[in-house]
Amino acid sequence: MKHSTDRIVTTHAGSLSRPSGLIALNRARASGDKVDDGAYAECLSSAVTAVVRKQQELGIDVPDDGEFGKPMAASYDYGVWWNYAFARMDGFVPADSVPESAHRKSSVADLALTTVRNRRDWQKFSEFYLDPDSTGTLIGSAPRRATRRPVCTAPIRYTGQAAIQSDIANLKKAMRAANVEEGFMCSIAPGSFARGEDLYHKTEEEFVLASAEAMREEYKAIINAGIVLQIDDPSLPDNWDMINPEPPLGEFKKFERIRIEALNHALRGLPEDRIRYHICWGSWHGPHTTDIPLKDIVDLVLTVNAGAYSVEAGNVRHEHEWRVWKDAKLPEGKLLIPGVVSHATNLVEHPQVVADRIVRFAQIVGRENVIAGTDCGLGGRIHPQVAWAKLAALADGAKLATSELWR
Amino acid sequence: MKRSVGRILTTHAGSLPRPKDLVELYKDNAPHSQLQPRLRSAIADVVRRQADFGIDIVNDGEFGKAMRRAVDFGAWWSYVYDRLAGFELRQEQANKGRAAWTFGSKERKEFAEFYAEDGGMGNAQAGSSSSRMFGLTCTGPVKYTGHTAIQRDLKDLASALGGAQVEEAFVTAVSPATLQILPNEYYKSREDYTWALAEAIHEEYKAIVDAGFILQIDDPALVDIYDWWFSLNDDMAGYRKWAAFQVEAVNHALHGIPEDRVRFHICWGSWHGPHSGDVPLKDVADLLIKVKAQAYSVEAGNTRHEHEWKVWKDTKLPDGRLLIPGVVSHATNVVEHPELVADRIIRFAEVVGRENVIAGTDCGLGGRVHPQLAWAKLATLSEGAKLATKQLW
Repeated sequence: MKHSTDRIVTTHAGSLSRPSGLIALNRARASGDKVDDGAYAECLSSAVTAVVRKQQELGIDVPDDGEFGKPMAASYDYGVWWNYAFARMDGFVPADSVPESAHRKSSVADLALTTVRNRRDWQKFSEFYLDPDSTGTLIGSAPRRATRRPVCTAPIRYTGQAAIQSDIANLKKAMRAANVEEGFMCSIAPGSFARGEDLYHKTEEEFVLASAEAMREEYKAIINAGIVLQIDDPSLPDNWDMINPEPPLGEFKKFERIRIEALNHALRGLPEDRIRYHICWGSWHGPHTTDIPLKDIVDLVLTVNAGAYSVEAGNVRHEHEWRVWKDAKLPEGKLLIPGVVSHATNLVEHPQVVADRIVRFAQIVGRENVIAGTDCGLGGRIHPQVAWAKLAALADGAKLATSELWR
Repeated sequence: MKRSVGRILTTHAGSLPRPKDLVELYKDNAPHSQLQPRLRSAIADVVRRQADFGIDIVNDGEFGKAMRRAVDFGAWWSYVYDRLAGFELRQEQANKGRAAWTFGSKERKEFAEFYAEDGGMGNAQAGSSSSRMFGLTCTGPVKYTGHTAIQRDLKDLASALGGAQVEEAFVTAVSPATLQILPNEYYKSREDYTWALAEAIHEEYKAIVDAGFILQIDDPALVDIYDWWFSLNDDMAGYRKWAAFQVEAVNHALHGIPEDRVRFHICWGSWHGPHSGDVPLKDVADLLIKVKAQAYSVEAGNTRHEHEWKVWKDTKLPDGRLLIPGVVSHATNVVEHPELVADRIIRFAEVVGRENVIAGTDCGLGGRVHPQLAWAKLATLSEGAKLATKQLW
């Protein structure tokens, strides 16, 4: 992976704003309308080519396909990063086809995830979540829907080979066209995938491990294609709030360690320096007061066999956590990708704010080990014009930081 | 005016979430006999609640300024609709909506799609308080007619303060620079018009200070007019000339009013937009400190202006003056972490001195974020101030 050898390198967390034509085709396909496969493939491929070029023009050094191959059927949608994987997997049925059941309890900790409506954050701010007027403050910030994930009822098997190969081909073609050396592609972590109900496996741990084995297929495909693999794992921090009441920290860490072991198992034999690991506390526009502090989980984060850690740090709940890296030592040779712009506000970060954030990290972990990133994907979470302006601010801020750090 | 002796004091920029039934009463234009008892009890509640949340310098939440919907960005200035004579409604002007005021904005051109689809106000455009002001044009001598209304507000606040454990109380009033946004057909020049507005609104300022309250002048226009009128042509010189005159005008409006009873609030407009066209604080700070007020309340708690604490290294805050930086903001639903709030306070304290910093908000929270979030933000403000106090003393 590229390091910031002589200047601050830039990237982002993955999702970018889809063109309206692609969204329209996705919507048509989702509602069962007939869409010509060839026309769809052509639209997708040219959209990826355009978005890679656009990232390059905006000053993003390590681009991706915008996650365009993960179908988004509406302008605002926070769930594509995880629900794409169910379309690539056998063993699940749609949530509405079976009655709701409790989440299986962990066999290593006395804990189980709860439903969205029982989350601590949801309970604490229920008036906000249920008030239709709470949509007023950020465009597209619809009240968080209580989503049930597909339910596991049979052995899990990855069936997305064709889909991932198409994603890879589109990205490589786009990178060639733009003459980009390094690109990345997102894929979901087992812990973030296996968060729904499971009626098939004997234990919750088996469910996670089976998910890991299945997802390994996608990880291998991305790495084998020479693309940097980004593992998306918001569940590591976010599961904390999905356990109600608040669990003892030690129990929670046991609960999470199983998930990280499963991820590392899925990554076995894959080169660490081609893998980056992304965590965030969930991208919905809520108060986030029940987010677990980074300092409580950073040791777990660092046990993931990845060469780079992408961590939300560019919003008012987590901005102060740069200090965590004073105590938690980033291992030699590894990279930190802090979020320095965020989807959590429509305000476009001032480049100087971006630079100040980058410099703080650089002073602790070394300038060559910091890549400037975003808190989370910007696509579907904020207006496209604002999203692009934020990427431009990110690149401008990285330039300012470079001039401060290499003078 | 109280300063942070021994600990960081807390306040906020003014607007707080109105109770639903009060919004309904305003929306229905309820008669005084129905509105008044509820207004008074709501103000008593909101004063008590601020004290409970650890806010030292409180106000009436601007409840006497009519808010007709839950999400509403404009009550802070549209309240003068009923308190100023000399204006007429021009339908053809009203039809232009906000565009009539933002004709020189580069940001609105660059982010045309965003503004067309959202405007940064979610669904709050139609029926908002500001929309009452669309189309108002000055066609006769400006005159303040709000004596009864302001006395009602002052009495309601005084009665609410009885028994509340607070340090001080403030009342907000709009600036001449804000009022001169409304088009003028009567006065010969913008200067004459602004001067007349300053003299009219002086009466409200004087009433507030005479009643023993701190006067907060709300003057977002002083900074956001750069974006609205001057940014399209990058006309910094024109803007600074305009702003320098506005500072003279507000000082004229303050004649005879003791400086130590006045705080002056600027922010770059509270709509949830990109704000990439905001004028940098460094380009206007020297004019700001010419305002004859003891304290300056300045937006500083969001991603567009957070870095500007450094401005106070170069622009020296005059001796005896106070800074009230925004350390929590309406610009995000995410509730600021108390440690971030403390970090922000400390940065200011290290530059201007801990006794000269009062922790505030970027802008009023009422109508701009959900009530539950607004109160959570005030709680984190006060928690962060405590953390900062620990580190600074």
